[in-house]
Amino acid sequence: MRYLRFTHPDSRSLEATAFGGRFGQTGLEDQIDWLFGTALNGFAGQARGGQIPVDLYQDKDNTYVRAELPGVTPDAINVEVVNGSLSIQASRKVKTATGEDTVAFSRQVALPNDVQAEKVTAAYENGILTVTLPVREEAKARKINISVN
Amino acid sequence: MSLLNTLINPTQTERKPTLRPSYEITETETGYALTVFLPGVAKADLEVSDEEGNLRIAGKRSTPRPEKATVLHREISDYGYELVLAHDNTVDAGAITAELKDGVLALTLPKAESAKPRKIAIA
Repeated sequence: MRYLRFTHPDSRSLEATAFGGRFGQTGLEDQIDWLFGTALNGFAGQARGGQIPVDLYQDKDNTYVRAELPGVTPDAINVEVVNGSLSIQASRKVKTATGEDTVAFSRQVALPNDVQAEKVTAAYENGILTVTLPVREEAKARKINISVN
Repeated sequence: MSLLNTLINPTQTERKPTLRPSYEITETETGYALTVFLPGVAKADLEVSDEEGNLRIAGKRSTPRPEKATVLHREISDYGYELVLAHDNTVDAGAITAELKDGVLALTLPKAESAKPRKIAIA
């Protein structure tokens, strides 16, 4: 199975990996931290800025990264592929009592090697950003016929 | 067995679970501004109603996942949003306006005339 690794720079998860975690190297603590991290800051954090929640899908031609970015104008979204990782940066202008404030969001997603970085496309609709990353031709599964004598 | 089935899966409760969206309320002199974050909701799938002092916002997500795609990692829920906010008669329910743009619903709730500050002249 091919999978995408993702980074979540969370102080708690960094601690857990640095000290081996209370549950040894099983990563259970990381998983629990991740679960609470996404449940608590992933959604509520949208209003205050921070990490963008993402979904990753894959079919035989493309890898899809879908990100929740409500209230961001398409001009304020920056999608880049650098060193095999996808970086999404966005900012939203918020009116405050004293004027205008900018709330920034970002997310890094490590990509598999077989992605064509130069053919990445992105679409934004209803506050959802969908990044389509085509899989390289030679990396696609091919059917080879073997003749048996 | 059928009794057990009705207990586990009662047909009356066809309600799907919903998420409470994050929202912000700010008060101005003339009313309240309510911002609700509803990523993935299109205008056609959004319902805003005000009944007996309850402002209800319900939205279904309209971004389908790519067909025949395998899920690698998920952080975004499929569930719709539902938010019910109770208000008293200080809000002029008939004059509420709503605008949905890029997954953010902006509602303006004007204050009722009776709730606005009044200067009372002393005779």
